[in-house]
Amino acid sequence: MGSSVTEYRGHQGIGPAVRGMALAAADDFSTRYDLDRDRGVFSRPSHTLYGESYIGRILVLNAAKGGVASAWMLREMVQQEKAPLALLLNNANPVMAQGAAFANLPFMDRFDTDITAVIRTGDVLYVDPAAGVVRVETPLT
Amino acid sequence: MKLNRFEQEMIEGRHGQAAQWAITYQQRVGDFFDAEDFVELRLIHISTDRETIGDSGVAFIEELAALPLHERRPRAFATADFRGFDTEAFRFLLPGRDLSEESEEVVRGLGKLGIVTSHAYVNDHSVTSPGFGEVCGYSGTPSVIYMNSIVGARCNFEAGPSSLAAFFTGRVPRYGFHLDAHRRATDAFRLDFQPVDVSEWGAVGAMIGRCLNSYWRVPAIEVSGPPPSILDLNHLGLCLASYGSHAMFHIIGLTPEASDWRTAFGTSPPEPELVTRSQLDAFFAGWNGIGERLDVAPLSTPQLTLTEVIQVAELLQGQHVHPDTTLLIYTPLEIKQACERLGVSAMIEAAGGRLVHGHDFFATYAKEIRETHGWQHLMTHSVKMANICEGYGYTPVPASIERCVASAIAGKIHY
Repeated sequence: MGSSVTEYRGHQGIGPAVRGMALAAADDFSTRYDLDRDRGVFSRPSHTLYGESYIGRILVLNAAKGGVASAWMLREMVQQEKAPLALLLNNANPVMAQGAAFANLPFMDRFDTDITAVIRTGDVLYVDPAAGVVRVETPLT
Repeated sequence: MKLNRFEQEMIEGRHGQAAQWAITYQQRVGDFFDAEDFVELRLIHISTDRETIGDSGVAFIEELAALPLHERRPRAFATADFRGFDTEAFRFLLPGRDLSEESEEVVRGLGKLGIVTSHAYVNDHSVTSPGFGEVCGYSGTPSVIYMNSIVGARCNFEAGPSSLAAFFTGRVPRYGFHLDAHRRATDAFRLDFQPVDVSEWGAVGAMIGRCLNSYWRVPAIEVSGPPPSILDLNHLGLCLASYGSHAMFHIIGLTPEASDWRTAFGTSPPEPELVTRSQLDAFFAGWNGIGERLDVAPLSTPQLTLTEVIQVAELLQGQHVHPDTTLLIYTPLEIKQACERLGVSAMIEAAGGRLVHGHDFFATYAKEIRETHGWQHLMTHSVKMANICEGYGYTPVPASIERCVASAIAGKIHY
């Protein structure tokens, strides 16, 4: 069982620091295109995380996709307590950043590595957007 | 971010509570994207469809609207779209739920703030338009990519709350497509065929979008044959935005910042990647459902133009929509009224179609509508709508307007 802490650096992000469990895939992400926001699960059949609950998890995905909807929706999801705990992407678009800022949802992108390749579902992460740091505290073995 | 004196005063709350919230919020986004400063603007478009903004968004707008005017002074001209709910259509689509009243809450709040509520897509049916090179703050992704690429105005995706913030500050953070460096092409493509309709142009956008898949990449495309229409380019653009999150494209020799390859790239261009007819055919063949019963055929995204609605009416002439299929034709309120005066609405209704105004199928509780009616198979000429509705549990098939209407008449998905 390994217990060393691995650290990844990204661009300075948005929102407070949090600790939680990762839900990771190499797919892209949109709140409108991919989620059943009533049930809190991924609803797009072709998405790797199809059927998985994202509530309270740190979502680790590739790129923001799609359009304007995520900016309003993230805040609604947070207020209904049906939101991920944080969102980590390789590449953001403005909509996702605007939505995270509006919702005060922890959000980071532009890491020094492909974040979807190094973080696995079940990893326990500490995300500090202000410092631009993600720590894998308990790697899944 | 560097702030001038007025912006610093807004942060300190000396120009009202709304401006204080707005510029603080914009500064967080600007810092995220390393914006150096703000840039002033005149025009804003705010996306506010009821499903997207949710109850918390309505409450937020109402909270702002309750402030006295000096606390919420507008500093730009803003339009909003999508809110003209069609009461009769919604009694059919979602019985038991008064969506008109729900959307009216938003309209009242926006109206009180001083936002002009128009029922049309801004890019197709402009209330007013930015000029070449003008900074603007548009919200809907189709509007943004249209403004950057076809008009040559300068805009990032300014999603709902972001454009609302710009309304109160009269400015946006200067990053992304406000900067020359980000507007240049990054990838080159050449079509070896001439797309024949808007669905095929949408599919070209979808294929390139899937390939590049980044807001920060700008495809330049060389086409052959007669130049595409603005509606063709609109479908191309909104699919680039939908499938690849793109906010700008160039058509060599056609769009205003791409008179030739070198101008588009600002340097020597790479060898273009070929996009072929066989790739296009494979794209359309990649959707399931051929031969299945067709439940619903919404023609929208974007709402149809007057000439498209007339085309649908002519295709329906002497025919009738199959009783197992619902054909929905979406258009702005003003065009629906024109269709009534022309007798086109009556032609569509006599054939069993429904002309719906003022919103868009995908943006208005499409999942709940599917559950209410038990619908599964959907057909649309909008390649973007097919992308979104797959996530809402439909099995969508994109195809030309002709094929959609023929399938609605037959009651099953035609190839």
